[in-house]
Amino acid sequence: MKTTDWIKIIGILFIVSVAAGLILWFLPARGKTANIYVDGECIKSIDLTLVSEPYEFTVTTGDGVNTVRVEKGRICVVSSDCPDKVCVETSWISDSGMPIVCLPHRLVIRIEKVSHADDNGFDAVTR
Amino acid sequence: MTKFREKRIRSSLCLGLLLIVFSFSACEGAAGKARTPHTSTFFAMDTVMSVTVYGDETAADEAEILVSDLEKKLSVTDENSDVARLNRDKSAVVSDDTYNVIKTSLELSERTDGAIDITVYPVVKAWGFTTGEYRVPSLEELGELLETVDHRKVDVSGENTETGENTVTIADDQTVDLGCIAKGYTGDAVIKMLKEKGVQSAIVNLGGNVQTLGMKPGGGLWNVGITDPFDLSGYAGSLYVREKCVITSGGYERYFTSENVRYHHIIDTKTGYPATSGLASVTVVGDSGVICDALSTALFALGLEKATEFYRNSEDFEAVFITESGELFITEGLRDAFTPLGNYENKKITVIEHENN
Amino acid sequence: MNREKNNNKGFSAARVATDGVLLGLALIIFIVELAIPPLTPIPGIKAGLSNVITLFSMFTIGPVDTLIILILRIILGNIFSGNAFAMVYSFAGGILCYLTVLLLKKILTKDQVWVAGVFGAVVHNIGQILTAVLITKTPAIFSYLPVLIVSGIITGLFTGLIATMSVKKVTLFK
Repeated sequence: MKTTDWIKIIGILFIVSVAAGLILWFLPARGKTANIYVDGECIKSIDLTLVSEPYEFTVTTGDGVNTVRVEKGRICVVSSDCPDKVCVETSWISDSGMPIVCLPHRLVIRIEKVSHADDNGFDAVTR
Repeated sequence: MTKFREKRIRSSLCLGLLLIVFSFSACEGAAGKARTPHTSTFFAMDTVMSVTVYGDETAADEAEILVSDLEKKLSVTDENSDVARLNRDKSAVVSDDTYNVIKTSLELSERTDGAIDITVYPVVKAWGFTTGEYRVPSLEELGELLETVDHRKVDVSGENTETGENTVTIADDQTVDLGCIAKGYTGDAVIKMLKEKGVQSAIVNLGGNVQTLGMKPGGGLWNVGITDPFDLSGYAGSLYVREKCVITSGGYERYFTSENVRYHHIIDTKTGYPATSGLASVTVVGDSGVICDALSTALFALGLEKATEFYRNSEDFEAVFITESGELFITEGLRDAFTPLGNYENKKITVIEHENN
Repeated sequence: MNREKNNNKGFSAARVATDGVLLGLALIIFIVELAIPPLTPIPGIKAGLSNVITLFSMFTIGPVDTLIILILRIILGNIFSGNAFAMVYSFAGGILCYLTVLLLKKILTKDQVWVAGVFGAVVHNIGQILTAVLITKTPAIFSYLPVLIVSGIITGLFTGLIATMSVKKVTLFK
């Protein structure tokens, strides 16, 4: 194939990706519910618009502890005992663009439209 | 280098590569199998039970058989059970399991100063909790029945190591019911059996008593929800635990209402009345199912203050208390493991320190 | 002596030496790459600059040696940098890049090596995202795809051009 053909192909791929990226970036905040997933399961759901006073809580997994801070409209991981601390460096997220990920602890915090926590988020319920 | 040697080196390299790829996929495959849960759900001891085992295909069913077997011995309603015979004859040779349960219950009665007592059965019966024919007994009736309630009159000295036959004797006016610790004991037995089978990850829920083995197959902690005593479809919080028992007692589980007064099933062994300690639910977390089961009932009856003192004098459990006014207290060992949920998310959580201030 | 057909000639000293040098280079690039601040908050996803070695080797000493160097680089590099976690990501990105370059090699000329670089890098990043989604079980990470495709094109161009120039300049193996 001619080099110019390749340039065309790559050029198109580039433009399409940029366009897709821009669209995703400027998408209106899809919802304000922070869903916290551990190992793929949603263990907790917080409606960020209903938060009045900031508060913190910890999420403990078999691999360690993450401390999460919740304020009106945003959430972050304020401290963690994981080795790379990428989750802490991510700082606040307030919309659905970027998730906070703590890979060593298999923790993901995403802002979505609805709560994904269901009764089966628990392994068992004591009563 | 000869052609043969070269070939050998080449083939061993290829073999090495293949082995690496193969072992990766084998690990994935094995990991996949070890992550598959097998659950057995059944009805026993008057409630729904479920046993979920990861990795072993038959263990869950075997657990069901074990539970059913224990129920036959421990049930107070089955007229052929050890307990029924003991209640009828006042002295009986019982199976090892029954003997162990009774012995343990007496130890716990000593430890809780009688807050838990298998001999309280006549009182419970009088309220109608066993038959469903609820009534409010008179003070006199309760007074008479309370006279029979005394765990110290239960004689377990009849242990015969030669014949292996253990005899238990109770007073003539006594009847016993092992319900307050039977599920805890059964849970322990199930976990023990699973461990002996080599199971590394399992969770059982015996009518609301949760007991766990190891961690989740992926290495994560078990997430156990605590029912909100004021909204049974909601949750007060969740606990992340590793191989612990989580057992809750609350008046909301079983009660009846008469003339606008609610009477629940956790009877105060001193007054004969449903315990009015100010607590709505108590969740005890620890290694032993039988201890957690007994303590959850005992601490509920004792109330927050006495329970706090009890906690400070103990080393084998942690607890979550929810008072009738909706306040949340947790013992300090659960600080990291407990997460409030629902209506309790923005509430103040008081942590009970272990050392006396 | 056309080195590309050297696969069947066994491990001569020259071959081992060449592979060793390239492996060493790959490892150095790998370690240096770790010092670059992550492009995305998703840990483990790296820029893929070490693929320049894969590119170069593929067009000079052939697929077999390239694969050997690649696998060794991934294993050694991740163990020595102390992050065994990242190995899955490296494998996903590295192997997919390798396969892509291998396929493209058949239809590209030596002047078009950079094209393989671009596609290799893009595929490398896609592989990493796939791995991240599989491990964390959150499909939402796919939302990073556009960003990583664009950055893949850019780094791919960069490494591709370097590789193209090096391949053309190298006479030792011709």
